Amino acid sequence: MTQVAYGVWDGVVYDTRPGSTHAQTPEYALRNFEDFDDGNPIRAFFGDRGFFVLDDTVSLVDALYHYMKKSAAQSCGACTPCRMGTVLVRDALDRLRRGLDQTLGLDEITILGEQMRQTSLCNLGQTCAVALLGALDHFRDRIEEELAPKKPIKAQHGMAHVTAPCIEACPSKVNVPRYIDYIRDGKPENSLGVLLQQYPMAATCGRVCVRYCEQACRRKFVDEAVGIKTLKRYVADQQSGPNALKFTRDMNRKPLAEGMKVAVVGAGPAGIACAYHLLLNGYHVDVFEKSNQAGGMAQIGIPSYRLPKDTLAMETDIIVDLGGRFLFGQQLGHDFTIEDLFEQGYKAVFLGLGCQEGTKLGVTGEDGARDGYFRGIDFLLKVHDHVDGIAPLALRGEVVVVGGGNVAMDCVRSALRLGASKVHVVYRRALGDMPADHEEVAAAEAEGIQFHTLCNPTRILTENGKVTGVELVRMEQTEPDESGRRKVRPIAGSEFTLPCDSMIAAIGQQVEDGALVEGDGVALNRWQCVATDDTLATSRPGVFAGGDCVTGPSTLIYAMAAGQNAARNIDDWVQRGSVRFFKRARMRKLISDNRFLANDVVETPVRNAYRVHNPELDPDLRKHMFEEVEQTISAQAAYAEAQRCMRCYRVYTVITRHPIPEGAV
Amino acid sequence: MCTPDLASLAARDPAQATVTLSLNGKPCTAFPNETILSCARRHDVYVPTLCEMDDIDHAPGTCRVCVVEIQQAGKDKPQIVTSCNTPVRDGMEVQTRSKKARDMQRLQVELLMADHLQDCATCIRHGNCELQDLAQFVGLKENRFFDRAQTEARPIDLTSPAMVRDMTRCVRCQRCVAICRYHQQVDALVMEGSGLNRRVALRHAEDYPNSLCVSCGQCVLVCPTGALGELDETDRALEFICDPDLVTVVQFAPAVRVAFGEEFGMPAGTNVEGHIVAACRKIGIDVVLDTNFGADVVIMEEGAELLSRLGQGKRPTFTSCCPAWINFAEIHYPEILPFLSSTRSPQQVLSRVAKTYLPEKMGISPDRVRVISIMPCVAKKDEAVRPQLTQDGRPDTDVVLTTREFARLLRREGIDLKTLEPSTFDNPHMSASSGAGAIFGTTGGVMEAAVRTIYAVVNGHEMDRIELHQLRGFEGIREATVDLGGKVGTVKVAMVHGLGDTRALVEKVLRGETDYDFIEVMACPGGCVDGGGSLRSKKSYLPLAQKRRETIYNVDRAAKVRQSHNNPQVQALYRDFLGAPNSDKAHHLLHTYYEDRRRDLQHTVKEIWDDITASTMLY
Repeated sequence: MTQVAYGVWDGVVYDTRPGSTHAQTPEYALRNFEDFDDGNPIRAFFGDRGFFVLDDTVSLVDALYHYMKKSAAQSCGACTPCRMGTVLVRDALDRLRRGLDQTLGLDEITILGEQMRQTSLCNLGQTCAVALLGALDHFRDRIEEELAPKKPIKAQHGMAHVTAPCIEACPSKVNVPRYIDYIRDGKPENSLGVLLQQYPMAATCGRVCVRYCEQACRRKFVDEAVGIKTLKRYVADQQSGPNALKFTRDMNRKPLAEGMKVAVVGAGPAGIACAYHLLLNGYHVDVFEKSNQAGGMAQIGIPSYRLPKDTLAMETDIIVDLGGRFLFGQQLGHDFTIEDLFEQGYKAVFLGLGCQEGTKLGVTGEDGARDGYFRGIDFLLKVHDHVDGIAPLALRGEVVVVGGGNVAMDCVRSALRLGASKVHVVYRRALGDMPADHEEVAAAEAEGIQFHTLCNPTRILTENGKVTGVELVRMEQTEPDESGRRKVRPIAGSEFTLPCDSMIAAIGQQVEDGALVEGDGVALNRWQCVATDDTLATSRPGVFAGGDCVTGPSTLIYAMAAGQNAARNIDDWVQRGSVRFFKRARMRKLISDNRFLANDVVETPVRNAYRVHNPELDPDLRKHMFEEVEQTISAQAAYAEAQRCMRCYRVYTVITRHPIPEGAV
Repeated sequence: MCTPDLASLAARDPAQATVTLSLNGKPCTAFPNETILSCARRHDVYVPTLCEMDDIDHAPGTCRVCVVEIQQAGKDKPQIVTSCNTPVRDGMEVQTRSKKARDMQRLQVELLMADHLQDCATCIRHGNCELQDLAQFVGLKENRFFDRAQTEARPIDLTSPAMVRDMTRCVRCQRCVAICRYHQQVDALVMEGSGLNRRVALRHAEDYPNSLCVSCGQCVLVCPTGALGELDETDRALEFICDPDLVTVVQFAPAVRVAFGEEFGMPAGTNVEGHIVAACRKIGIDVVLDTNFGADVVIMEEGAELLSRLGQGKRPTFTSCCPAWINFAEIHYPEILPFLSSTRSPQQVLSRVAKTYLPEKMGISPDRVRVISIMPCVAKKDEAVRPQLTQDGRPDTDVVLTTREFARLLRREGIDLKTLEPSTFDNPHMSASSGAGAIFGTTGGVMEAAVRTIYAVVNGHEMDRIELHQLRGFEGIREATVDLGGKVGTVKVAMVHGLGDTRALVEKVLRGETDYDFIEVMACPGGCVDGGGSLRSKKSYLPLAQKRRETIYNVDRAAKVRQSHNNPQVQALYRDFLGAPNSDKAHHLLHTYYEDRRRDLQHTVKEIWDDITASTMLY
């Protein structure tokens, strides 16, 4: 248990030092706070809500200087108090820690700190003086004691970290406020540049991302979350047209020797992201893909009315622009093995195999249904071929889709476009429980899809192998359990039949059988997914894995994040034989374990300004075609939406006993 | 055009003011989602502001000067908020003058001064600066944080022949960005850099000649300080005036005479034509001419050109008198250039004639003539140095002074306009003008002037009613049909002012969705009477537009001659010198050509990444 020596957090003063003058000294339970890295204790922590000193010998003046130095470096300069205040306070603290004559005294520093805290435009300015003011208000004697000798104060070890709720929520850690700032500043191309630092598929992400960032957005306490995805799509569309950004080989930071090559298996989002970052790190990358097109699940699993094929192709082509090679028609376990790859001289392998086998419902009649029965993912593959003009597909009559996820929504909306007279969704829980994006559900409803919630299939009815209907049972919700979650259970005797001509089971996917063979030495876990450790290393040295094949069916953004993390770890493994400590990840864990990143309400009134929405094609028109439903917003709308971001940046610093080891950045 | 928020709120039904709060202790009501600042203004409570500008709906909340103290219902502590963008709430108690609010307002201004160059005596905004006013209001007494070295290190852009962007005086209010982005929709300005390096910069360009800027100068009109201004050329003008070997010729634009008197304490919209003529003589100008004469000649040329193009089935034809519009077409829509009239602008027509016909008539050497042009326009400076408008390296128009520089020049010469006895033009060759030339200064005026003359050319007699009210008005885009009679018949015309509406119209024309024959474009909202080179106002945008327009139409109404072709000096010019409109000689001297100046906006990701890394990065 970590003991706080003294500090202030959320205005509460903590002081357990002997002879403390503060009467009340409550305990503060810091979690996972002993060592920053192995054998390197945390001595103090400074954040947007205050600070904790664990080691009484820490210099507050030096620590506060470093905190303000980071704040000044992060100040965007838009508003007066933060722009000038951070610099003036930083320089004043610098003189104090060097034992030089004061230009500004502690009183003036306090006034400037208050000015920043109370009058700054964004959260960075509003929070960057909170720790400083806490120290000056409650531990001024401690500071004066440090300054009394008028000698330079010994420098301390540590690190600083700047983040925001939306950044922490994003698996890829996209610097969201920064790219919104660039839109506001009038530099959408720089905004795209910020996105491209994390992944190459910005236009794709701007269309289909599930937006963890928007769930974390604090603007929702005022009116609605900022349209982060909508803005991403806007800047990503800078990538097309006459002024598209060009990808050139000089983006590769340090070109490596010919033999430094890495194999990426699977050209889905995880593989593409991994290949991209490996290429940027100078590696020679070959991407093995069993089909004849890149994009993986984004290619076959997302219908073209949500993600046009040429948009995706433009982004996967970036790999080629950077010098990567796609080897199409190469299926792992069929055309080559992992052993083959190492024999061919690849230094490491990344597996981004995906989860491409649809899960069965496991009900009576499923095995005998030959005509009119599909699994969700197979159906979307057929839709893809239909749109591509490879194999036309037409549906007649009524279609039932089982499932409540995004794949199920893609299936129903596609079925409608393929000529079904009526399309039903069957889902075992309530409408609000559906894991699909709310927008997807709403769009399906607008297009006339019929929803049957709290229903579950029990039997598939067939005649000579041809689907004729589905037997369903009604479900009821149980009372909430301790965690507040309500389960569902079938209502005995409530079975009824929903006649249909086709049915689609869209309840989940798993890794394809036969991709990994015994001799590969890559272990699977009990869910038939590839087993990896924290560094995404598999049981076979030099083989890393990420994306759906590790996590089970998940989102584009998680897959791209895994590819990026794997690329960093592969670089370490190839260059050093092991994966280094990643200090930013440790800092993130410290922040999340202790819930430092407050998700609090906005205290001051803010003028309501509701978010813009992508213009959409009319539902009656669009339900007959596969052209993209959502359109890009205008520049004027983008400027307006960007103004809504409140820039919830916060600065965090730790002071440690020893230097924090340098890891990958 | 922007609708001032305040006016629209004042016009709202008071019954909709359902929010009750107290303002400095007095109960009052406000509209839902209205800002504290707007509410305070409606109740005549002053709050110091800097970045905010209601007329252009601009409240970026960046200067943080307008802070007030509020006590929200249900909260235990008062809070400090910016009044410009904080909405009122029921039960809120607002204190604009509490000790804390006053102290914080004052400290904010002191922080603003920390990197603002305070050489006020040498600043073009001296005595007319919103920041000076603000410092006075908050009672600024000390200046503890000013860092001269840091301030002087900020960039000053001198690459434009028309404008100066001086970051040592910029307060980062972003009004210039807003007017350029949302109103003119040229979107040539961006915000760049972080922290103390935060600055206004040009989109995709290091300097003006390669930028998307069209030099309309509307940004200058909204700048609260001397950060944006015209390139001051009063010294160059004085050099010419004081050189005894030179013959200095002055011309001033139709709009200058109605938008100048207020600088010397005369009522807004006063026609000071006679005062300007007298002032020019007093400072030693040799020949005082009138740009309105040039405008009459333009109508002769452009009218003939339009008739010829209509005969050839070429439609539409755009006017070409506005240099910011020419820049806009060349840089943003080069596809439209074949539709532009080739006639030079009134300024350039007058200058060319002043260096050919006039010396011939006066018996002097053209080499000794220097033309000084007084314009309500920043882009005219840019136009004057266009290579196609120079002869052997010497521009036809030697120096262009904006209305503001002309005021500065008069002050340097110790002249108070209001005390001068008005005089009249006396040049027998190039100073008479018609009412048609006068109305060039306002939106719709060029069209009206052209129709008056074209009608007479087509029909051989004058129109019955020459005041074409269907062409007047203030909407951004107006269209009308005019029966020109004869073989031409009915034509469809359009008038557009402000580049935001111009952009929309040009795109419509390029998409083939219009059937106009003749389109008048003025880049500045309202036309030249509120040009980017006219006098600045503080905290307001185009406040005098209607008064100036009224006067300009009165000039026309009072004119003895109201059609360009009836101007006797114009008739003499054609009889003695040019021959006929669009003659070879006229074409050689009075027409020009345009160039495709579309900018290359292509970047590599590497360049973008270098730019991002140069500023602050998190990772």
